[in-house]
Amino acid sequence: MIGFLQNLADALSLGSLYALAALGVGLLFGILRLVNFAHGDFISIGAYALIVPSFEVTAQLFIGTWNWSLMIPAVTLIVVIVALISDALVFRPLRRANAPTLMIASFAVSYVIQNGILMVYGARPKAANLWSGLDAPILLGDLRIPLLQVVTIGVTLALMALLTLFLKRTPYGVMMRAAAEDFRMAQYLGVRGNFVIGLAFAISGILATAVSLLYLSQTGTLGPTMGVPLALFAFVATVIGGMGSLLGAVVGGFLVGFIVIMLQAYLPEDLRVFRDAFAFTFVILILLFRPSGIVPTRAFIERV
Amino acid sequence: MAPVSKSTPHASMLRRYWPLAALCAILTVLVGVGSLIGSDQLQVTLTEMLIRLIVVVGIYTFIGNAGILSFGHIGFMCVGAYAAAWATVDPTWKQMMLTGLPDFLQQNQYGFLPAVAGAAVLAGLVALVIGAAIMRLSGIAGSIATFALLAIVNSVYSNWESVTAATSSIIGVPAVVGPWVAWMFAIGALVLAYVFQVSRFGLMLRASRDDEVAAKSSGVNVVRMRLIAFVVSAMIVGVAGALYAHFLGILTADTFYLSMTFVTLAMLVVGGVGSLFGAVAGVIVVTVIVEVLRHIEAGVPLGGITIQIPQGSQEIGLGIAMALILIFRPAGLTRGNEIAFPFGRAARRKRKAAAS
Amino acid sequence: MLAIDDIHVSYGRLRALKGISLTVAKGEIVCLIGPNGAGKSTTLAAVAGGVAATKGHIRLEGKDLAGTRPEAIARMGVSLVPEGRHVFGTLSVAENLRVGTYMRADRGAVAADIERVLAMFPRLRERIASPAGRLSGGEQQMLVIARALLTKPRLLLVDEPSLGLAPKIVDQVYEILLEARKQEGLTLLINEQSSHRILKHADRIYVIRNGHIQLAGAAADLADGEAIKRAYFGFGEAASSDANEEEDAA
Repeated sequence: MIGFLQNLADALSLGSLYALAALGVGLLFGILRLVNFAHGDFISIGAYALIVPSFEVTAQLFIGTWNWSLMIPAVTLIVVIVALISDALVFRPLRRANAPTLMIASFAVSYVIQNGILMVYGARPKAANLWSGLDAPILLGDLRIPLLQVVTIGVTLALMALLTLFLKRTPYGVMMRAAAEDFRMAQYLGVRGNFVIGLAFAISGILATAVSLLYLSQTGTLGPTMGVPLALFAFVATVIGGMGSLLGAVVGGFLVGFIVIMLQAYLPEDLRVFRDAFAFTFVILILLFRPSGIVPTRAFIERV
Repeated sequence: MAPVSKSTPHASMLRRYWPLAALCAILTVLVGVGSLIGSDQLQVTLTEMLIRLIVVVGIYTFIGNAGILSFGHIGFMCVGAYAAAWATVDPTWKQMMLTGLPDFLQQNQYGFLPAVAGAAVLAGLVALVIGAAIMRLSGIAGSIATFALLAIVNSVYSNWESVTAATSSIIGVPAVVGPWVAWMFAIGALVLAYVFQVSRFGLMLRASRDDEVAAKSSGVNVVRMRLIAFVVSAMIVGVAGALYAHFLGILTADTFYLSMTFVTLAMLVVGGVGSLFGAVAGVIVVTVIVEVLRHIEAGVPLGGITIQIPQGSQEIGLGIAMALILIFRPAGLTRGNEIAFPFGRAARRKRKAAAS
Repeated sequence: MLAIDDIHVSYGRLRALKGISLTVAKGEIVCLIGPNGAGKSTTLAAVAGGVAATKGHIRLEGKDLAGTRPEAIARMGVSLVPEGRHVFGTLSVAENLRVGTYMRADRGAVAADIERVLAMFPRLRERIASPAGRLSGGEQQMLVIARALLTKPRLLLVDEPSLGLAPKIVDQVYEILLEARKQEGLTLLINEQSSHRILKHADRIYVIRNGHIQLAGAAADLADGEAIKRAYFGFGEAASSDANEEEDAA
């Protein structure tokens, strides 16, 4: 029982990261029909922004040493700027392109960012120690839950609540939902298309930053492709939840976290290594049998 | 569409296969000149380029005909590469490291050609099984499914310790592939791709790509046509995988993942996904760009100073080149055209029009 | 107010408009009549910036709209109600109504305007909190018109307001459009497939077919409908050589 609860806590905190990443991917898909490969690289950028550019193996924190109240806005700003630049330079000229073309363009953005990181920081993985205080466990009876997991889940819930408030209660949120549903009609009503898309990129960047900080403090390692697996699982989550539905992305994210941890825990030893293969097989099955996802809604964000 | 004109059967044959003949001639000249004057480094570059050409031609056979963007074909390259290596690696090593292999592979050592054939067959089989399911999907769903396929293959091959040696590589694959061997297979791939493209299947698929509904209502079984293209293209890419294994001499699953997918797709997009000429032109142009950048990365003396750009410039350059093509020339350098027939009335009319 | 001068629009190889010229004066109601696929919707979409003309000019109060984004044209006081009731299905009725008001400079007047529009459409007030996707076809048509009125347009473009609606609701829709013109000095450019209802209300009529203007005239002169019928069906002229007709998408 304790073992299961422990796994459940792991699943929730991993699911939180996937849900945040999936929200960032789902937001852009909803508005632009863009499957953004580069989202993983936005996450990597957030982590690398913390350290001093060098080829050293042990990363020297730079922005990372600042007080969190300064550090978080600084890192967020950097990631948001990268996201906005990629929109302005690549995706904006491709507004009329079809979804597969956008997907391949984001692949190019991803490739450029990864190799840019490689150029500045070198290819070798680096160790970095962010927020080591969060390793302390919280004891609930026999259950030991690392504080970091609690923080991860808490931050995720808070961000989700904020995003929901933004989308439901503010003019820009309403415009964004309108644009996600019928972009051209929203424009006919005076909604500035490029501004709304830029806003979506910025929010996607904020979500990516949250993932990078939480993920980095969990793993303590940086690598030029560190964000890629996260983005891949975020794709899995958005497909499972239904492409273009934000609620679906969140549900999908938690579900993928749950599946991954449970496969890890209960799959026979020799099959455990094929965990990811199972996850992606699931994607194909969903695309074939429930193409609109397992959450029965096509709405961008469901009513709360 | 080729203009209809009264001509002898031979002339119309020539016109029909002219684009193919021209591409084969270009490749032959390239390899001939390269191997005559080339340094060892050039031979290596040339071989790698030809293998990538086979990959890109294979991917093109699917994307160009079916109109679905595939991110999954490098998975078939992986399948082909391992299949061939299982056949040609020294049995004593296999018995020690690859304990999960079936006996007929573990106990024996096969020649290069049977290994390549095996690679094509296995890649084709995998494509048949998975394609039977995912060829129903089109557009973005189809693209994501092919991507999932790539991730599955990568996950299986980089973790199946007893069959692929997982993260420790398979070593001692006989490195028998040089420029001329690669050239031979490249010509074969071009012929296969072109014959498929102008065949009944290819034409019907292209019609379905332009208008799926109309094709369906005229009785064309779009899914089956796509599946045929998928299997053919997977076999071509599988062969390329086999060649790559026997070119590198060492195999790791991560060779066949996102970077390789990106580079080959970039080649196809730069050249133009709509024509075989696009596939070939893309490979050649991208190889030249990357080689030039790589050269400058190493430092080029110019006058008194050495010009050098940082490591990673070639990759970034390639990414930027691809984005520029997508933005400014979405149909690629060739705009989906094959090499035009330079003789006969149509060409003369065109020249006259250009002159006036 | 609006002057369209010889515009051409193509979708790929398909030529939808082959030289359309028309004018709309301030305060007028002008109607475009023509069969399905004639190019009516494309004309309105071109004015609203939804499709680009390959040739020709569209001028709004003398200002050339070439290359202007749809949202900028909307901000200049042009509102398009496209065919097919483009409600934002997952947004509530209230949210749908508000989308078009965010660009307005007179934010303070918005609440009162919403009140006024809801008074015109009592059905919408009853459904104010439900997702627009759950409304009936007639209610959705009212919603898109109400939403367009709330952008405070000077020129309102309405694409086939009567398509697929019961005659009673169509009458209601027209009543409201005419009322809005009276109250706010609105100028209207309306597309219809059939002429009989609009003839009563329109000042001037253009008949459009195959991407060309076939007939133009004051509604009063065309009241018997014979000339319109001839232009509409193309009687008495050689069969059209333009085989490429397609439903134009907005």
